[in-house]
Amino acid sequence: MTKLDHKKVLAERLSARFGRRAVLKGIGAGIVTAATGSVPSLARAQQSGHIKIASIKVIDTLDPHFTGFLSSIQIINNIHNGLLKIAYDGENVTFEPDLAETWDLEDDKTHVFKLRDGVKFHDGTPCDAEAVKFSLLRVKEGKPKSPHAWKLALLERIEVVDPLTVRLIFSQPYAFLPVALNGSTGRAGTIVSPAAVQKYGTDYGRNPVGTGPFKFVSWKENDSIELEANPDYFEPGLPKLERATFVLMNEASTALAALMSGQIDGMTDCPMQLVNQIEAFPNATLYGEIEGNYTFVGMNCKRSPFDDINLRRAVAWGLDRDTIVKQAYFGRAQQAYTPISPPMTDFFDPNIATSGRGQWYDLDKAKAFRAKAANQGEVEAVYMMAERGPVGTRIAQTVAPMLAEIGIKAKLELVEPATWVKRRNGADFDLYDFEWVADLDPDETLYPEFKSDGAWNFGGWVNTDFDDLCAQAQVELDPAARRALYYKAEDLLMDEAGIAVMAHMPIYKVFSNKVKGFKYIPADLVNLHSVSLD
Amino acid sequence: MLLQALGKIAQTLVVLFFVSVASFGLLKLAPGDPIQIMLGSEYSQESYDSLKTELGLDQPFLVQYADWAGRFIQGDWGTSYVARAEIFTYAFKEALPVTLTLASFSLAFAILIGVPLGVLSAVKKDTIFDAGSAVLALTGTAFPSFLLGILLIWFFAVKLQLFPVMGYVSPWENFWLGIYHMILPGLTLSTYFIAMITRLTRATLIEVMEQPYITAARARGEPSWRVVWVHGVRNIAMPLVTILGLQLGVLLQGTVLTETVFNLPGIGQMLTSAVLGREYLVMQAGVMMTAALFIGVNLLVDLSYPFLDPRLRARK
Repeated sequence: MTKLDHKKVLAERLSARFGRRAVLKGIGAGIVTAATGSVPSLARAQQSGHIKIASIKVIDTLDPHFTGFLSSIQIINNIHNGLLKIAYDGENVTFEPDLAETWDLEDDKTHVFKLRDGVKFHDGTPCDAEAVKFSLLRVKEGKPKSPHAWKLALLERIEVVDPLTVRLIFSQPYAFLPVALNGSTGRAGTIVSPAAVQKYGTDYGRNPVGTGPFKFVSWKENDSIELEANPDYFEPGLPKLERATFVLMNEASTALAALMSGQIDGMTDCPMQLVNQIEAFPNATLYGEIEGNYTFVGMNCKRSPFDDINLRRAVAWGLDRDTIVKQAYFGRAQQAYTPISPPMTDFFDPNIATSGRGQWYDLDKAKAFRAKAANQGEVEAVYMMAERGPVGTRIAQTVAPMLAEIGIKAKLELVEPATWVKRRNGADFDLYDFEWVADLDPDETLYPEFKSDGAWNFGGWVNTDFDDLCAQAQVELDPAARRALYYKAEDLLMDEAGIAVMAHMPIYKVFSNKVKGFKYIPADLVNLHSVSLD
Repeated sequence: MLLQALGKIAQTLVVLFFVSVASFGLLKLAPGDPIQIMLGSEYSQESYDSLKTELGLDQPFLVQYADWAGRFIQGDWGTSYVARAEIFTYAFKEALPVTLTLASFSLAFAILIGVPLGVLSAVKKDTIFDAGSAVLALTGTAFPSFLLGILLIWFFAVKLQLFPVMGYVSPWENFWLGIYHMILPGLTLSTYFIAMITRLTRATLIEVMEQPYITAARARGEPSWRVVWVHGVRNIAMPLVTILGLQLGVLLQGTVLTETVFNLPGIGQMLTSAVLGREYLVMQAGVMMTAALFIGVNLLVDLSYPFLDPRLRARK
């Protein structure tokens, strides 16, 4: 492939942004004053309203470089910006410059970011090339080591060209880069205030200082996280709200009751079992589509009985996805044929159902594979489950009778979530179900999960051809060529039944009808930038 | 008397020491690993090891215990591993007052409703009223409090919009708003105790009413309300206080569910999230506080007997 190709890709990705910038230039002087910090009374006057949103899942830390939870990123993303951000027009997911004003490729390994002028962190220090370098290095080689360090493993050198220009040199072309460098799900590209990191050290997660539309105010455990508007935010006219409170809750049905009685204005996550009630409630709006995720039944390929490929194939073809979607996912999910999910618009095949690729329910085929399995007697398998994930133990309970159909007696073992994690990571199970969520690129969907020594390859499926295909795809910047590589890789995984893939799930958010201007992005984000209250 | 009190306090400290060793050990024995939980799914072995050293979790058990105990006594309760919350502030200054407020409200409800109900049942023994209150009491004991909580929320907060669904407002900061927020959770948590106190009051009072001094009071021609409420009820104070002290554990247990349903940031919610996240230090602080509370209240119960019953006062 030539240099021109990805320039074109990049230009396409940027086009929306260029259009917007032209408009901004028209407004002219007003923005400059706003950016230089002379109190823009107009911008302040626009900010009004105090939104209260229930956050039902665990918030671990507000440090973008250390969090492991999407529920935290939902809040972090209102405080910080990334070099890039995720945009969604209702059909396509794209990556746009955020703190960067322009993003250019000098060659296929060198990326140049020109930063916005005059952007300041909430502590007043400038967000310049040095701050970007500091943040990226904190992820790549900071101590303690960030769990997202692998996303920048290929980053070889960071050059500060001038105070507003930074050049990133990678050791290989890096197709995953837009995801790695965004401030949302990628996290590695979130820019934090170097002064604040130096001041707070490991306690930065309780004192986050970013450039985002909202400033962090306070965090009371099990109670609330408070944010207030950043009047000097670089996007003119934003934010519109004066204050935002994330009410930390454990019980979703209480949150629903609070929403219905008007005590709160929204929920960052609405569990599938409550969706019917929300739909019947006239004063709230539900936001949600199938997001970048897939759920599966994992099999332990390293030990008997599922070291037997034919038994695994029997499971893969023996799961009635339609019933699973209806019973375990309240009819809300969509059957999955392969892991690559619908929001990965460059890679997902809209005609996957008729393409003949992947796995689906075919009991005859399943029985034929079962007949070829080494163990023709009744197979006993430990199915480890926990009250975790979006639907708890419902999947295990739905799947167990299907396994019985093909002569596998699943012993359902209910363990507590922390034990579940430990046993999964230690491969102490025969069967379990899990979901990988908020993926926007096939690399994060496939490679770390299924490469031979992958950190998250808990089932231990091994295929070196698969490894090679994914490694090639990682450095292939042309989407069409990349897609072909991932399809081949997926076909290997599906055929050898490293997992039995089940469904792509919708992720729901709900806001009362007083809340205006929420822009839904299928990456489990709750960006309040443009939100206002009636 | 003073000596007796000092002895009991010394006993308390010994018990607290054993509680701390036992809970510290048990928590470590529970399967599950705080680092795996805090790192989520996406991490490398390197991040894991580096965090483990950072948090001191690679040290031997005894070193960890001694380190913790030494600091704990000095009021340095540490910070939570992941969220970096100052545990003393979180547990003692924030969570404990919430739970204490909730517990006091439910106790107050239980006594204010349970005692009169019990007295009336005793006085109107074997009437329809007595039977009705027996049914109520039985239902109250059998009904799971969290379910009652959800029902109360749906009826009083969502349908009628009379009370807030959830949340805590400190009565010290805003007295009436604080009470307003405590009515539903207080009622939820107190049902079991209302039932228990009603039954206890009834049983004790029936016995008391057969005592000679009651007959004597009646013979003196005192009005019957005075006979019951002054001469009779006074005698249920001791069994009542004893039972409340012993049942405090049940009450504290109940706060876990009540706090979850009404989203009150108290010790119950603190312990739940700490257990799920294997936040050892937070759990330990929670266990120590509840243990101290339980033992402390029972100590007070012991010390209160001489005040409640003159016969137990040391004679000069």
